[in-house]
Amino acid sequence: MTLELETIKWIPWLPALAAVVGGVCCMRKSMRNLAAPACILSILAGFIITLGVQSKVTVDSPRVFKAFTWIHIENFAVDFSFYVDPLTIIMLTVITGVGTLVAWYASGYMKGDRGYARFFAAVSLFIFAMTILVMADNLFLLYLGWEGVGLCSYLLIGFYYNKPAAVAAAKKAFIVNRIGDLFFALGIFLTYSHFHTVSLAEVLRSAGDLNTNLHAGGQGVFDLGAAPSVVVIPFLLMLGAFGKSAQLPLYMWLPDAMEGPTPVSALIHAATMVTAGVYLIARLLPLFALSPYALPIVAAVGGATALFAATIALCQCDIKRIFAYSTISQLGYMFMGVGAVSTAGPTVSATGAIYHLFTHAFFKALLFLTAGSVMHSLAGQLDLRKMSGLSKKMPITSVLMLIGCLALAGFPFTSGFFSKDLILADVVEMGRSNSPFATLYSVLGIVGVATAFLTAFYTFRLWFRVFTGPEQYEMGSDGHGHEEEGHDAGKAGHEQAHAPKSGETASAAIAVEHHHEPHEVSFVLMNLPLIFLAIGALGAGLWESKFGWIHHGIETSSAFLGYIPKTASDAGEAHDIHFTMQLISGSIAIVGIALAAWFHWLNRPAGERVARAFSGLVKVLNNKYYVDELNDALIVRPLRTLADVLFVFDSLIIDGIVQLVGFLPRALGMSLRPSQQGELQGYGLGMAFGAAFVLIVVLWSLNLVAMH
Amino acid sequence: MNLMTEKIAGLWPEISLLLGACSCIAAGLAGTVSVRRLAAPIAAVALAVAGVATLAGASPPTSIHIGAHGSSANGIAAPLACYVKIAVVGVGLLLLLVAAAVPNRIRSDQQVDNAPGSAFDAGLVMRGEFFAFFLLSLTGVMLVSGATDLVWLFLALELTSLPTYVMVATARDRVEANEAAVKYFFLGALAAAVFLYGFTLLYGATGSTDLNVIHNVAKHQLAHGGLSPLLLTGMLLSIVGIAFKIAAVPMHFYAADVYQGASTAVTAFLAFVPKTAGFVALILILGITGDHTPQPVIWLLWAMEALTMTIGNVMGLLQTNVKRVLAYSSIAHSGYMLLGLVALGGHRAGEAAVLFYVVGYGLATIAAFAVLGCLETNGDESQDYAHIAGLAKRNPGLAATLLLAVLSLIGMPPLVGFLGKVYLFTSAIDHGYVCLVVIAAINSAIGAVYYLRIASACYFGKPDEATRVIDWPSRRVGGTAAAVIALALGIVGGPLVEAASLAVDAPIGHPTHSTGIVLPPADDERGEMPDTATPQPAAPTTAPADDAPAATETAPQPAPETAPSEPAGKSSDM
Repeated sequence: MTLELETIKWIPWLPALAAVVGGVCCMRKSMRNLAAPACILSILAGFIITLGVQSKVTVDSPRVFKAFTWIHIENFAVDFSFYVDPLTIIMLTVITGVGTLVAWYASGYMKGDRGYARFFAAVSLFIFAMTILVMADNLFLLYLGWEGVGLCSYLLIGFYYNKPAAVAAAKKAFIVNRIGDLFFALGIFLTYSHFHTVSLAEVLRSAGDLNTNLHAGGQGVFDLGAAPSVVVIPFLLMLGAFGKSAQLPLYMWLPDAMEGPTPVSALIHAATMVTAGVYLIARLLPLFALSPYALPIVAAVGGATALFAATIALCQCDIKRIFAYSTISQLGYMFMGVGAVSTAGPTVSATGAIYHLFTHAFFKALLFLTAGSVMHSLAGQLDLRKMSGLSKKMPITSVLMLIGCLALAGFPFTSGFFSKDLILADVVEMGRSNSPFATLYSVLGIVGVATAFLTAFYTFRLWFRVFTGPEQYEMGSDGHGHEEEGHDAGKAGHEQAHAPKSGETASAAIAVEHHHEPHEVSFVLMNLPLIFLAIGALGAGLWESKFGWIHHGIETSSAFLGYIPKTASDAGEAHDIHFTMQLISGSIAIVGIALAAWFHWLNRPAGERVARAFSGLVKVLNNKYYVDELNDALIVRPLRTLADVLFVFDSLIIDGIVQLVGFLPRALGMSLRPSQQGELQGYGLGMAFGAAFVLIVVLWSLNLVAMH
Repeated sequence: MNLMTEKIAGLWPEISLLLGACSCIAAGLAGTVSVRRLAAPIAAVALAVAGVATLAGASPPTSIHIGAHGSSANGIAAPLACYVKIAVVGVGLLLLLVAAAVPNRIRSDQQVDNAPGSAFDAGLVMRGEFFAFFLLSLTGVMLVSGATDLVWLFLALELTSLPTYVMVATARDRVEANEAAVKYFFLGALAAAVFLYGFTLLYGATGSTDLNVIHNVAKHQLAHGGLSPLLLTGMLLSIVGIAFKIAAVPMHFYAADVYQGASTAVTAFLAFVPKTAGFVALILILGITGDHTPQPVIWLLWAMEALTMTIGNVMGLLQTNVKRVLAYSSIAHSGYMLLGLVALGGHRAGEAAVLFYVVGYGLATIAAFAVLGCLETNGDESQDYAHIAGLAKRNPGLAATLLLAVLSLIGMPPLVGFLGKVYLFTSAIDHGYVCLVVIAAINSAIGAVYYLRIASACYFGKPDEATRVIDWPSRRVGGTAAAVIALALGIVGGPLVEAASLAVDAPIGHPTHSTGIVLPPADDERGEMPDTATPQPAAPTTAPADDAPAATETAPQPAPETAPSEPAGKSSDM
């Protein structure tokens, strides 16, 4: 099935409509079940359109479609227009594909929740903003989407708004993102002041021309002469990307963001929104390539984050937090991949990063959602130490999560294996090139391999802990934030001797069961979408290595810097590196899994002994390197003290001035009061003096004028 | 004879009001209550007839401007007079609605009304007189707007004021009312003496009481070394004296006491009628020097303006009596309107702004006083913030009217007060009086405090037990209508604005005058002798039978050979 490319214009508006429907549903209780189908169908329609148009995109891309004029002030015009090239399509596939499956899952997962309609309204709005973000033809529109997804993230992290931790997490996410967004906005302003346009098409063309000059003339970037600003732009944009994608130093909001409902963690904080930073850099790759330092720094930050987050993930006990740190770590890989690019070769496109983005979306969403299933059946229990041997109770979930874990660990021939390997190969290739940053890339290659090992280990630590060993579990206290309604209804159901009567109390029945024992979750509503995700997580890599959809797509998109004619020996060498890296990363994944199996399945006491031997390190890792505490001491507390000081200043000086301003007219009035004593003589005198005064002054001044 | 009839031909509105006043007195003397009660309807009919007569007498303004203030030759009313008369009729009808019930409250009238027939003593009833004086005062305003002569102007101004003294004294059975009337009368007489003195100096300086002649002499003097000190002093004294009518510094002292003492409906009358007369008179007096207002006069107006609005607003802040608050607000608004007079030279947009503003202010203030007049505390008028507290809970309609009124007084869009301020402030800015506008803006902010205090008392206060709402439909209708019109004019005020600018700026295209209009002050330096040497813009075309032309021919003898630049420069230095 193929559709006209033009239809792509509709993709954002369908979820927008669904968001409005969801908003209306929030108000009418009778309609609240309508919100979920509206949301799912609108995203599914977007997915179908994306698939329908994708074959037409590679021909004469990029194409720009204008929806309407958005801002028009004299010469400055910003259109609501969409930039479509294969990169857009890849992103849309991820967003709408994973989005549909997650929304489908959520329709079962969120059942019985008081904010059911609100949830789907926010998810629809998120999809609207996210599609705008990836389809935007100009930086302003992109920023609109960027802030829109930030808003939805805030709304959904704080979804359980009467839970203080959720509210705090929502604020943290929002504020940390604002720091990045500030720089992003500055980057946009600077882009406009330099290129006199914010249109991506034009900015990319100009940047491409500059690159071509650079490449042909061998002219150094700092010789660009009048344009030092061009060199600064990537750094500003980069900071925005780091904030949104939770990279060092702006990563700390993402683990806390797990306070939101699990489908949100899967969709927004694993598969889509957090990859916006990677998308931004990939999209603006020609701009980033203008500065010789920008991309190496991106790669270095990515590598550091990958290793850093992976070490923290080793010692966490909360399932969702482990996955959150793993997300940060995998995003670090993507940044490494997008940073391991150079106009001078040997890597000239961000294929690795986008490929990993694509596969990661599937397996990480799968992992989060299976974690959600575990949580769902254990009534909110997330602590690894309090569950064990669940595979008998939840066979499907255990297999699905195993698939996700294999992909994340990079087990050979799963999707994660191929994409991670591509990034590692790119980095190593860069390390062997004559780039001035070759040493950096070599180190990053080692970091990448080490992270791969850690990833395999902590992933399977989790899986073995949860699903193998003796069957033990401790139920959670609440319905994974399944708020009071479900909870109370559960109690009510309990009293009624397990006699749910209508569909409305079906959730109550589930809630009752929660308190008894774990169970497999609903197949159609929750496990079926996961099976699709699992197919993606397993097969996406094989499919890609057969068809090269992403490879070809990226080569006709803006994440491609140009063809470097490769000699046969180069190509052969590249192939060798590729193969070597596959071998190394594959075997290291297997070693990691085996080690995890030994310590956490076969011989758990040994694992505990090791942990005790390194108790100091474990403690540091368990406390996430004390970064939150450090933040508190270095940033939050001084700011708070400053705020206190300013408050005193404000209340004394500023308020004083304001009070004074308010007091002055009153004081003036008071001083004039004696003139209004109510006595006729006084008034008459006042008038007479007034008239006399006028005359005297005027005549005197006339005299003065006459004398001159 | 011909002259006389022509003059009278232009005075049909005034005549109809006068006849109405006589009929009111006659009706007021009737022995039966029902006939006496006809006085108010008669007054309404008289106003309506006056309105029709004005419209019938109005014709497309073709001929007259500055030189010929309000000349009404051939029965054609001057545009300024026309605008003022229509405004007086319109606002007068609203005032009549508000004031219609006043005699019902006067004790002697009540007694006579309730003891039908038995022993009717015409000396005890006030109803007829009240409406007669009401109409007479309005007649005075109309005459002011048509004045072409100083004597006429003086008499017209006094005709405006004298009836109001009586209205203040008789319309309320309280000793404060009498006190207010006495103060008002004496201080008014003092002020009248001041501007009458000014008028005599004008006569002395020019040898004529005719405004056209005085204008031409002034023009001649301006072209030849500047105004004579006598003429200038005359102008200054006239302005200071007339300041009493508009309650501007230094003649503002009476306002608070008189407004407080008078019956609320009469206070509303005082806030609009004498003020309108005063501003029109000021426009006529300033018209003597045409587009080239002498510098000392500008200084005077500047200082009066700044002081008037500041004193009005800061004193208003301190009051707890709403009538006194509105009195100071009236002073402050006179200050704002003086802004338009400062900005008078050149395009005359300032005058138009004043004429528009005075109507807008009148509407808002009438609405506010009408609401106040609908309340009663312990058998007396409600005057305090405490009395209007919680009005919104008792009578949302009245509260809404009051809210609209104070918002318009603040200058909140989309009410007429906003539009008025915009015109005033822009006209002043166009003439470079930025500093004054800043002062005015600060003052508006200060004023907002006490206006909003009224609104907040009304909406958030605790209802006062002792206060009750009196059911006077006519007053309520009058107040509501005023507020609604204030809102409507704020939204679609275009026609009124146009009328106001037409009233002062009509004869664009008149060759002599248009040159005068477009000349910026700087051009004086170049000395446009040919223009100033043809000083009879109006006389030949408009009033062939008047004595004005004769005087005009004799008075200014332009001397084209005089070196123009130096004296002209000097005159602008003054």
